[in-house]
Amino acid sequence: MSGPVSDLGRARDESGEVVAVEGLDGGMVEITARLPHLAATARPGEFAQLRAWGGVDPLLRRPFSVAWTAGELCSFVLEAVGAGTRLLVGLRPGDPLQALGPLGNGFPLDPVPVRAVIVSGGLGCAPFPLLVRELRRRGCADVIVLSGAATASRLYPAARFRRGEDSVRVVETTDDGSRGRRGLVTELVADACDETAAVYACGPNPMLAAVARTLQRLARPPRRAHVSLEAPMGCGFGTCLGCALPASGGGWFLCCRQGPVREVSEVDWPGLLALPPAHVA
Amino acid sequence: MTAPDLRVDLGRGLILPNPVGLASGTAGYGFELRQLIDVDRLGALFTKGTTLHPRDGNPPPRVAEVRGGMLNAIGLQNPGVEHVASAYAPEFSRWGVPVVVNVAGGNVEDYLQCLDRLERAEGLAGYELNISCPNIANGLDFGRDPAAAGRLVAAARSRTGRHLMVKLSPNVTDIAAVARAVEEAGADSVSAVNTYVGMKIHRGIRAPVLPGRGTGGLSGPVIKTLALAAVAEVRRAVRIPVVGVGGIMDAGDALEFLIAGADAIQVGTATFVNPTASLEVLDGLTEIATRAGVRRLRELRGPALPAMPPAGIEPASTG
Ligand SMILES: Cc1cc2nc3c(=O)[nH]c(=O)nc-3n(C[C@H](O)[C@H](O)[C@H](O)COP(=O)(O)OP(=O)(O)OC[C@H]3O[C@@H](n4cnc5c(N)ncnc54)[C@H](O)[C@@H]3O)c2cc1C
Ligand SMILES: Cc1cc2nc3c(=O)[nH]c(=O)nc-3n(C[C@H](O)[C@H](O)[C@H](O)COP(=O)(O)O)c2cc1C
Ligand code: FES
Repeated sequence: MSGPVSDLGRARDESGEVVAVEGLDGGMVEITARLPHLAATARPGEFAQLRAWGGVDPLLRRPFSVAWTAGELCSFVLEAVGAGTRLLVGLRPGDPLQALGPLGNGFPLDPVPVRAVIVSGGLGCAPFPLLVRELRRRGCADVIVLSGAATASRLYPAARFRRGEDSVRVVETTDDGSRGRRGLVTELVADACDETAAVYACGPNPMLAAVARTLQRLARPPRRAHVSLEAPMGCGFGTCLGCALPASGGGWFLCCRQGPVREVSEVDWPGLLALPPAHVA
Repeated sequence: MTAPDLRVDLGRGLILPNPVGLASGTAGYGFELRQLIDVDRLGALFTKGTTLHPRDGNPPPRVAEVRGGMLNAIGLQNPGVEHVASAYAPEFSRWGVPVVVNVAGGNVEDYLQCLDRLERAEGLAGYELNISCPNIANGLDFGRDPAAAGRLVAAARSRTGRHLMVKLSPNVTDIAAVARAVEEAGADSVSAVNTYVGMKIHRGIRAPVLPGRGTGGLSGPVIKTLALAAVAEVRRAVRIPVVGVGGIMDAGDALEFLIAGADAIQVGTATFVNPTASLEVLDGLTEIATRAGVRRLRELRGPALPAMPPAGIEPASTG
């Protein structure tokens, strides 16, 4: 399987401490913790395996994108969807937080400035604040975030994508029209793209598949397009082989090592969409 | 206090520098974990199950967490023996940790051809015959049938002078019978246990979480009690060394396996939770032995377990 793999040489297991837990609208929570190594080394699109519990239930760590870094601090954006995330969103300042990372291959970045089109669906926002900052640092003048959610309260706040980068445009859509344009975020992708664009997308699989379909039909496809994917993980560092996802052309790629970021054409989209939902009701 | 001698002689030239190994399928071929921890301090590295031909493995999802453990249905994804022998083995010979190749197959001929190729490679400390992988069709047949297991091990024995360990399946009615059969056929040691067959149901989709038959191999702390019983039973059945594995999370758990009769142990699922778990087990065992003032690890074991249940006490049964 081709493509960049995670650089495990940078990964370290760190005992950190929660410094802030902010509740956003719609159940999203941003957790900030003192994790100096992760803060100093994480690149956009990389993730950490978090654990904030002793004992054996939950047992495994849970993977979360590094959403932001500042000095010795790292932030994660999440929502309670199961046992592990429920414990994480219930953390309080001063609580310990164990983080193994950075893990994963991260978003590829061009040495020269590009037009960046970021497509974010719901919690798929998580890796993008860090990406926006890095793109701006690399001189990308034209960065647009297409941010979609089911309803207004579930949109990640535009200001948190920007974090001071005021030239970054954030265009919002909601399925119910309660904020921004009514409709699906993918409907904006075609208009935002041209052959100079680099596309970065993260969100639910059906949304990512729709982005892939849209891009395929463009007369002037973007210079490249990458998606960040999720898989249930055993280890996060390539030894359990548990996080396989279907690759175009057959076979699998490991989400934790050869992902979570893949070029759109490297993903077997029908295969991905056929997978059962990740969460147990 | 003098430092205890942690070496474990498993026989036929395989002397582990200490009793703590990384369990098959939880450390790949070592390359990833070496970047995270000092693998060379460990007693052994048991590789991912290796087959004659490369295998892509099962469709996802392949892992699912359950209370106190996890299920896996990896389907023996591996690059095939040729790659392991030609590309990986030369690396192994440069490492400090003894590397034992876990070998799997669908029939006797597969195992033998796999061994023949590995025999031509240097840098291997021995083999662990996986006769118990629950994730491929027929994978369990050898593990379930003492006579078939014996035939496989006898054939393998005739092909190698290297250490031959046999990994036992716990999914049998009489694990002692299989252990005895492989001992008689020439196995140098046995490891116990592989994963227990389990299932997780997804209530939302009213179906198992794992695809196919819906079953996977259960590992982690939830199986420790079961694995201890299996190790004790195997210990009573054979004279060859026993390597204990199943749910070991810390040095205390490892000590329990030594007490149950294991000569060495493997750390599996714990590595996923904490990549340094195996090293912490090693350091913890060393400290326990040092504090107890023993010179050899086996002195930690205490009195031998009784060969038969004492009169008047029924063998363990549920009810
Ligand atoms: C690379 C990567 C980055 C991620 N980044 C974020 C993020 O920034 N914010 C966020 O909210 N979520 C993120 N997720 C998803 C998050 O890891 C899961 O929602 C979380 O593991 C669920 O754990 P739980 O115990 O609450 O749920 P449960 O459903 O109880 O989890 C049970 C098991 O399934 C696994 N699992 C269930 N759903 C998922 C899923 N969607 N992806 C991976 N594993 C799953 C869990 O790890 C666990 O082993 C990311 C996933 C991956 C793979
Ligand atoms: C993801 C995973 C993959 C495994 N792959 C193999 C394998 O290829 N061959 C094998 O003999 N055992 C395999 N095992 C079984 C382990 O080596 C070990 O016997 C079992 O997990 C019990 O130990 P634990 O509870 O410490 O994990 C695997 C276990 C897990 C969790
Ligand atoms: S999560 Fe273990 S290999 Fe990817």
